[in-house]
Amino acid sequence: MLLETWLVQLKHWMVNLFPAGWQPGVGSLVSVTVILGVFATLFAVATLLERKGLGRIQNRPGPNRVGPWGLFQPVADGIKMLTKEDIVPLTADQVVHFLAPIVLLAPVTLAFAVIPFGRKLVPIDLDAGLLFFFAVGSAAEVAAFMAGWSSHNKYSLLGAMRAIAQMISFELPLVISTMAVIMMSGSLSLVEIVRAQDGGVFGLIPRWHVLTPWGLAGFLIFFTAALAESNRSPFDLPEGESEIIGGFMTEYSGFKYALFFMGEYFGMFAVSGLATTLFLGGWHAPLPFLDRTLVPSFVWFFGKLLLLLFVFIWLRGTLPRLRVDQLMNFSWKFLLPLALINLLVVALWRFTASWPLAGRWALCLVALAAPFVALGAALMRHRHWKPRHYRYAR
Amino acid sequence: MPAHKIIERLKDQFGVAIQRADLPGNGRLFVFVDSAALKSICRFVFRDLDARYVTSIGSDDRPYSDSFLVAHHFAFDRTGLLCSLLTHLTGNPPKVDSISKEVPAANWAEREFRDLLGIEPVGHPYPKRLVLPDGWPEGKHPLRKDVAWNFVPEGYDEDREFAFDEPPEGCMVIPFGPFHPTLDEPAHFRLYVEGEMVRGCEYRGFMAHRGIEKLGESVLTYNEIPMAAERICGICGCVHNVAYAQAVEQAAAIKPPPRAEFIRTIMLELERLHSHLLWVGLACHIVGFDTLFMQSFRIREPLMWMAEKISGNRKTYALCLIGGVRWDFTAELKAELQQVLLKVEQEWRAVVEAVAGDRNLQKRTLGIGVTSPELVKNVGLIGPVARAAGVDIDCRRDHPYAAYDRVEFKVITGTGGDVWSRLLVRAQEVFESIRIIRQCLEKMPEGPLQLQLPDELPIGRMGMSSVEAPRGEAHHFVITGENNRPRRWRVRAPTYQNLQGIPAMIKDQQLADMTISLGSIDPCFSCTDRMEIVDIRSGKTTVYTQEELREMARRKVL
Repeated sequence: MLLETWLVQLKHWMVNLFPAGWQPGVGSLVSVTVILGVFATLFAVATLLERKGLGRIQNRPGPNRVGPWGLFQPVADGIKMLTKEDIVPLTADQVVHFLAPIVLLAPVTLAFAVIPFGRKLVPIDLDAGLLFFFAVGSAAEVAAFMAGWSSHNKYSLLGAMRAIAQMISFELPLVISTMAVIMMSGSLSLVEIVRAQDGGVFGLIPRWHVLTPWGLAGFLIFFTAALAESNRSPFDLPEGESEIIGGFMTEYSGFKYALFFMGEYFGMFAVSGLATTLFLGGWHAPLPFLDRTLVPSFVWFFGKLLLLLFVFIWLRGTLPRLRVDQLMNFSWKFLLPLALINLLVVALWRFTASWPLAGRWALCLVALAAPFVALGAALMRHRHWKPRHYRYAR
Repeated sequence: MPAHKIIERLKDQFGVAIQRADLPGNGRLFVFVDSAALKSICRFVFRDLDARYVTSIGSDDRPYSDSFLVAHHFAFDRTGLLCSLLTHLTGNPPKVDSISKEVPAANWAEREFRDLLGIEPVGHPYPKRLVLPDGWPEGKHPLRKDVAWNFVPEGYDEDREFAFDEPPEGCMVIPFGPFHPTLDEPAHFRLYVEGEMVRGCEYRGFMAHRGIEKLGESVLTYNEIPMAAERICGICGCVHNVAYAQAVEQAAAIKPPPRAEFIRTIMLELERLHSHLLWVGLACHIVGFDTLFMQSFRIREPLMWMAEKISGNRKTYALCLIGGVRWDFTAELKAELQQVLLKVEQEWRAVVEAVAGDRNLQKRTLGIGVTSPELVKNVGLIGPVARAAGVDIDCRRDHPYAAYDRVEFKVITGTGGDVWSRLLVRAQEVFESIRIIRQCLEKMPEGPLQLQLPDELPIGRMGMSSVEAPRGEAHHFVITGENNRPRRWRVRAPTYQNLQGIPAMIKDQQLADMTISLGSIDPCFSCTDRMEIVDIRSGKTTVYTQEELREMARRKVL
């Protein structure tokens, strides 16, 4: 049990050193420090993993000069970023230009507050944790707009426009796909949602949401939308350098640029953590009986998180970038209808609880597969666009 | 249609307007025509005889014949004939009827001789400055013989800006270039967009001028020019090197020894290999598919090493001299090249198989940047761009040079005419190139590399040579001259024609597809821009001598 709780006990010991009136504040401070420390380290590791992984996919060594196997590459990158000149364009809005990366990073970091990292490791157990997560997550759009607007650069503004359009479009399927989970678990609290996935059949097959038809569909929709939300390839249009240079990050350099980069990664961690919590059983072990072993629960959580990160990297190495109109079509004409249909399916699943398992599965799969095929075929069809005429543009 | 038949038909049609016809043999035809009938003759050749337009050339012939010379080049690809229609212009200022309305492909070439030689194309639909820099004063024509190669005009106005056209009504202007991450070289497109749709564009290029043609006509000698010609392009330099040598050899009726021809063929194909692999990589980078970019560059790298082993350089092989080549293939090099080819073929086959069915890549390339066979004919598009539209032209087969008549290969054509079919055509051509090199290695005879040249090459002869560069046909035209250097040397790079097709390709499609449409012709701006008289800044900045530069470098080191 010590393995599981040493972090919590350490925190209690530290907090108890302070007078009683200070204890809540100090407790929060300790949590914040730990979260920031852990995820900043994970950020460093992830950049290295990403470059190494991409290198592997692309048949090249990746970074291998700094330290053994290039292990100190993140350190070198950090030093480089910190010592680089911070350039602010003359015509830029200085204040907003300075604030944008902070506005991006701070809310994303806040989102970590509600994610249960382990059995005892919940920074804050909010009743409306999921709502809080999306509320702070949406602030990224403001940051993108601030960066694009304040840079006073056409490409920045174009990139910001793209980023905002993309984030707003994909936020809908993202949120609606999580509604399926809320309907089943009956709670907005992430701790409750993890509890709903407790236990398993014969102690072998876990009761994770992803192992149900609606959960699988919801997970895939959620993950795809999350890719777009975090501006990752193949949805990295806002910074598609072959089209619009660097998007809203064009005019950023030095550590401010690194902050944007960090924001992107933190966003990735946050949505991966949420996906783990909502669909992959949170901190539960992949086999339910393993939950009772010595392995601490947060190991499982971070294992799943890293697995999802790997999928992020893998996709980046596999897919070409989409075009703006294709991206929008994909969100509005494919993901969103599917997410809505998934809500029907989750209702079906709930009200057929008395049916035999095979019948439930078959019904739900058909209800999902039919629109999937129909929508997919409609989306892949090659359209010949007619020249459009804008009545009011003249 | 054989050459004598063409002359017959021209004489039937135009009678005395056909002044003289030279048939120097091996697929070349020079017809001197009356300047008044030039326009209708060109229309007849282009439309009725269905020839392919190659390029137009102006030349200052005043020191020799007291007149200017204009030549329109056409190619009869089915009969392997390159035909030049020449006319002498005596007026002052010289004027010639523009053929751009009949032959739209001649648009740029006519504007070019208007800029550089002051030959006025009368009735040109768009007589705007093309080549000369914005600040260059009117009435100064750098390629005329009475202008020195290092001439800096009086009244050069550094601050003058290019006068762009008014955009069409209801359209917004988006500048693309001169400096843009997907453009490796400077070129400026002004895109007219309505919403997200591109409605048209204006091009302002020719920013990488180096005055190579003028240098060739006034400073360098015959065997120094290959060095300069190779530096016209950073990717397909060897093409210009060979094309120039062949044009001079053709003018002087020299036939290089067979071993030299085989070595030229091998190096040209080696260049095509690495250029196509490079292009696939860059195109994938443009659509945001970096994995394939990395893969094709990895596959390409052994070819570059091989080129370095063979020639001493990854690029700029310094291959040709007039009448032969400069270095030999040893047996070890042959064996090693075979090994490299085997490796490249295997790896590339794996990549092509993976890509050929990739729907994600198709989504970005299918139906994008479409060219129809009519557009290919009218604008004179060439190379993979033409072949992808189903137009079966390839100089290697149609106008065989070097050792291409002694090897077997297939000309790859596509059907769609879009970016996707260009990708497929280039991917398949890699295999054909490998096949050609293998055959060459097998069939290469022993023998001398160089021909003993006469002390002086004959004067006033003309030669033209078309070489199939990776991007299309590169065309060189040479008039031999005194002082061991050509009187006129004209280079038409493939991108020169292909770029003119871009406005039609990007019209009425998404703005985001602009980059890949442009990328799909494999643009090479320094090839296209090759001619300008002097560096426009040399009038203002100090020119350092080599000594001074070395001194500066030393100081920097200390």
